[in-house]
Amino acid sequence: MKPLLLLIATAALAQVTPERLLRAGEEPANWLTYHGSYASLHHSGLRQITPANAAQLELKWVFQAQSLEKFETTPLVVDGVMYLTEAPNTVIALDPATGREFWMYEHKNPEVTYPCCGKINRGLAIRGNTLFMGTLDGKLIALDAATGRLRWETTVVDFRKGYALTHAPLIIKDKVLIGTAGGELGIRGFLAAYDSQTGKEIWKFKTIPEPGEPGNQTWGGDSWKHGGGPIWLTGSYDPALNLTYWGVGNPGPDWNPKVRPGDNLYTSSAIALDADTGKLKWHFQFTPHDEWDWDAVQTPVLVDREWKGQPRKLLLWANRNGFFYVIDRATGEFLQGTPFVKQDWAKGLDAKGRPIRVEGRGPSPQGSRTYPGVQGGTNWFAPSYHPGTGLFYLNVWDDYSSLYFSWDQEFEQGKWYAGGGVKADVQSTRRDRIARRHPDSGYGAVRALNPLTGAKVWEYKTTDVSDGGVLTTASNLLFTGTREGHFFALDAKTGQLLWRKYLGGQMVASPITYEVGGRQMISIAVGHSLFTFGLRE
Amino acid sequence: MRPLVPFFLLALPLLAQHSDTALTNPFNAPEDRRRGGEFYRSQCANCHGMDGKGGASGPNLATASLRHAPTEEAMFRVITKGIAGTSMPGFSMNGREIWQIVAYVRSLNVSRSATAARGDAKAGEQLFTALRCATCHTDRAPDLRGIGQRLTDAELQLALLDPSAAVAPEYWIWQATTTSGQTIKGSRLNEDTFSVQILDSAGRLRGLAKTEIERQTLERRSPMPSFRDKLTGRQLQDLLAYLVQ
Repeated sequence: MKPLLLLIATAALAQVTPERLLRAGEEPANWLTYHGSYASLHHSGLRQITPANAAQLELKWVFQAQSLEKFETTPLVVDGVMYLTEAPNTVIALDPATGREFWMYEHKNPEVTYPCCGKINRGLAIRGNTLFMGTLDGKLIALDAATGRLRWETTVVDFRKGYALTHAPLIIKDKVLIGTAGGELGIRGFLAAYDSQTGKEIWKFKTIPEPGEPGNQTWGGDSWKHGGGPIWLTGSYDPALNLTYWGVGNPGPDWNPKVRPGDNLYTSSAIALDADTGKLKWHFQFTPHDEWDWDAVQTPVLVDREWKGQPRKLLLWANRNGFFYVIDRATGEFLQGTPFVKQDWAKGLDAKGRPIRVEGRGPSPQGSRTYPGVQGGTNWFAPSYHPGTGLFYLNVWDDYSSLYFSWDQEFEQGKWYAGGGVKADVQSTRRDRIARRHPDSGYGAVRALNPLTGAKVWEYKTTDVSDGGVLTTASNLLFTGTREGHFFALDAKTGQLLWRKYLGGQMVASPITYEVGGRQMISIAVGHSLFTFGLRE
Repeated sequence: MRPLVPFFLLALPLLAQHSDTALTNPFNAPEDRRRGGEFYRSQCANCHGMDGKGGASGPNLATASLRHAPTEEAMFRVITKGIAGTSMPGFSMNGREIWQIVAYVRSLNVSRSATAARGDAKAGEQLFTALRCATCHTDRAPDLRGIGQRLTDAELQLALLDPSAAVAPEYWIWQATTTSGQTIKGSRLNEDTFSVQILDSAGRLRGLAKTEIERQTLERRSPMPSFRDKLTGRQLQDLLAYLVQ
């Protein structure tokens, strides 16, 4: 009997084929990719928890991280197993019904690594029976999903030059895609694809063109060499077009733009690459010659919808610069752009989507005040698109500004190269338990936008801002939370509060939902723990 | 018994490490501080501000009471390793450079007001008693112990002459009318979307749900009287000297 048992056990192991990933949205019991699907909707088809019964949500289990670093993970759930990362680079497999751990794998980083803003990790990718994670010391590692054993490890980049891998990789066919952080350390960013079986590099796209390549003329002198352009959030994929979409971060030095005259392509841009070759199909630069550190590191949301009477493949993008964009994702054509928060740096966008700048809003030695502030109108935390309501949901920071300072600074490898600084009434991340907000220093809100017009449909205002993502479900629920420590459910149609729980720590991650044992669960990392909720039994 | 002997011998140096042998900065000369200032401007000022008083990402460093760096050795460790759970990274610099930054940051510490104070602290103490400052400052007004390490000489002067010019948010005057018609006054200690935490005028800590509050106001005014025309220049200096000592 022994061989037979072994055969059964092997057959039961998770096999996340590329075909399953293509249809991840059709498997609502699982959460197979960082963004929930290739279209990155952060939307689930599950309907057990509804506006009518959301008040009966209760805590099912808590996973307590041992790390005191910010807990930015968004877990995967695959056929009855949850996989998550704990900062900086520990992987855990656990039972999504109970929270009990199956195994853990700890990647040992050197004592000093170079993430700009905390030793964090945002999550994993899975293909077949292999998990993939980027590390702070520049490695891409592959683990056996059943045992947590290392299958291979490859060096993506020399981290000592200011690079770090923080985002969840993206699987496309037989490749693992990963980009690099380091926009404040004078890096030259890139996105690279690796063979998922061997870890061998297949292609690399550098976000800053070198001399001889198109776009290099948008960099004065040698400034392209240390021009930043990091990629630190997972992208999206359209299988029909075979294009993968990614947001590129800020140019460097962040706040001293005079040393990098020109538009500084492809920083603060969306890029669409051929998934097989990594060749650039098109780009759209949201903030040419960015002077404020407004990385275009947001979730590329892919939606097929009628646009002015014609079915069209859209890319929806709420940018840190305060504008909400609609772009044709087949061609990169700009369709519409509307401010979604108070902004005073652009008079508007021209017919091609290029901002018409207001003079004198850039950083200065004595400080210049500009709306939005340095964290932007929104940031990297996930928005959600609900195909049923047709609305785009996001956490915004509104009526909020920063004082932007610039100063001269020489580049030194592995050191900060920001060329300025920022003061703001609102802290970039939560530092204290105590929050005494100035009533006139802006506010946070969960906001529903009509993507066809950019108009606000409803908003749910919060006293402090949020660094958390949004999840919607087919039953018209919206889950999100705040820096204050509240996690709550709103009616996705109206914005009405239906349920909330105070979890006591900052939420710097996106919620997910899955089903186990016939029960729908909601998981969210808050503070130093992952909390999972389900309906009262 | 044999294993006990080596254990005892081993324990001695371990205990010694826990005695008062904190490392002090070996690079603290004026030239080190100048060099540290250069490193500070390129590596630290982005988050902590050019003046060291804090920015969007980093807290005020121009104070003697740094939570994660109470000693120079601790500050050295924070700069090399970062602070878990925050945006503070570890920095890739050699030991000498880091000590030079420590020297510079310590020089930002405004406790130097104490040495700059020119008044007579003893006379200042008498004034402090005569003016009955302690009536409020041992109760709800700001704690003046170590105030010279938190505020500069100029900031202290401003607080005495124009107390409402820069009132910290925890001392703003909070007032609310509840849905039942009650008026509550006090200081706002904390607030979120759903609640506010108050020290009320009767000295009670109260947590109020915002659903109970019909209207709330915040006044950035200090209840402290101005001493602008009540003290001579000399008396002001004496009082400052007492406060910062």
